[in-house]
Amino acid sequence: MALLEKVDKNIEARAWQGEIPIQSRYTCGLAGEKFFREIMENGRFAGTHCAECEYTYVPPTIYCERCFAKLDEWVEVGPEGTVQSFTVLLVAPDGTPLEEPDILALIQLDGADSVLVHRLGKVGLDELAIGMRVKAVFKPKKEREGSILDIVHFVPVNA
Amino acid sequence: MPKEVAIIGVGYAGFRALTPEVSYKELMYEAAVKAYEDAGVDPRRDIESFVTVAEDFTEGTSIFDEYVPDQLGAVLKPVHTISGEGLHGFIAAYLQVLTGAMDIVAVEAHSKASNILTPDEIMAFAMDPVYNRPLRANPHFIAGLEMNRYLCETGTTREQCALVVAKNKHNALYNPLAAYGASIAVEDVLESEMVSYPLSRLDMSPRADGAIVMVLAARERAEELSDIPIWIRGVGWCNDSFSLENRDWTNAIYAARAAEMAYRMAGIRTPWQELDFAEIDDTFSYKELQHMEALRLCRPGEAGLLVEDGATEIGGEFPVNPSGGSLGMGHLLDASGLARLLEVVLQLRGEAGQHQLSDVETGLAFGWRGLPTTSGAAVILSN
Repeated sequence: MALLEKVDKNIEARAWQGEIPIQSRYTCGLAGEKFFREIMENGRFAGTHCAECEYTYVPPTIYCERCFAKLDEWVEVGPEGTVQSFTVLLVAPDGTPLEEPDILALIQLDGADSVLVHRLGKVGLDELAIGMRVKAVFKPKKEREGSILDIVHFVPVNA
Repeated sequence: MPKEVAIIGVGYAGFRALTPEVSYKELMYEAAVKAYEDAGVDPRRDIESFVTVAEDFTEGTSIFDEYVPDQLGAVLKPVHTISGEGLHGFIAAYLQVLTGAMDIVAVEAHSKASNILTPDEIMAFAMDPVYNRPLRANPHFIAGLEMNRYLCETGTTREQCALVVAKNKHNALYNPLAAYGASIAVEDVLESEMVSYPLSRLDMSPRADGAIVMVLAARERAEELSDIPIWIRGVGWCNDSFSLENRDWTNAIYAARAAEMAYRMAGIRTPWQELDFAEIDDTFSYKELQHMEALRLCRPGEAGLLVEDGATEIGGEFPVNPSGGSLGMGHLLDASGLARLLEVVLQLRGEAGQHQLSDVETGLAFGWRGLPTTSGAAVILSN
């Protein structure tokens, strides 16, 4: 068995091109509702705390992934935090080069144990450092719509 | 761990940047025919069950598992598809034999990466739709964040990561299956286009097409059918928290836990001494180093120094990725771990050709499921 013949001329290598149209709604859940409402209405970060594990989740979850307890203790964290890592991204979602570098970071908000993934702004590439202190900049209140993009970016605390 | 289950046949096809002359089904068929020939089995008569590994979005087909039986000789037989790393499928096949439910089982994984026109978009689609995807960032930023954190935490340098690329691409020059063998210098990697600082284009393994099939058998059948059965001594798998917010950004904890499970099963206490070599995930240059440390092949922060010393080269004290790894062979999507395991099998059989290691008895394969996952699996084999 096995293949006795193969397509051996490039122009005879036929292919059909297709695409998959997919549209979805992703509900934010109980914890997500509260997280985004706090941002929209008060420009504040809400997290959930597991007293057993001494761990604060931001974004919040209604259960602790460490001990599996149900979480209902809400705490306010941030809006300042510490950069745990950063990267300067130079490619667009489709893989083509970006015109302007995009700085992304892991930000551990004060009081949180988890990190938020977001952009850094108003910072020079030579100023970037793991451990730098940053704070959240929110969109003007009337423009907020309950999305992670209600946070414009994080900027250095002393900016 | 007693010798209960062995690999008695391996087959592979492709392992090139493009395979326009065949469909993915023909690629799988070719690998299957070779594996069955190698094992001396007839799939319609002898193989009792089939496990394949595939992901709908990379195949461009919903419910892709329905598309696998015919080209493997699995029609009207027990067959199922796992979405995971190739080694997860291998372990599932192994467990089917270990339970005594099946005597001979085949496992398959493949990549037709060249068919995918929007690979980064598919990868981005794996990120959390509410918290991460709205940022519309190319998902390679995750590797940039992790690499930066790893370098900062361990004191490993970009140069040491670049040495991994040079080593693996050099090894690949001696591996006829490898699509991306090259003789390059550390500077070539450091000066290549930056993708997501500190990750450059050459720090990333380029994609390749390929299919791999392996045939596993219970001890009695293995000894009857094969002159050189390769025994499965330990397996392990583990997932860290998947969310970017809660995962361990410093340690590849999924690799550490998967390996501990496999080491325990194999009765291995000091992997560096008891294993002869390892084929481990090197999707990105730093991943080989991070995984070496997590797999306890050295202490945290030491992997970069070992690469500098040449300890992980083919002629070194502990060869890592003598095949060339994904950096040298090409990344085979979810088949990458099976490609690592294939090299372990060929080395233990003494069939690795120009890059054959001398006197090897026990080897480790470790697979990571790639961005943006925190999912890994380990398999230990001996001859």
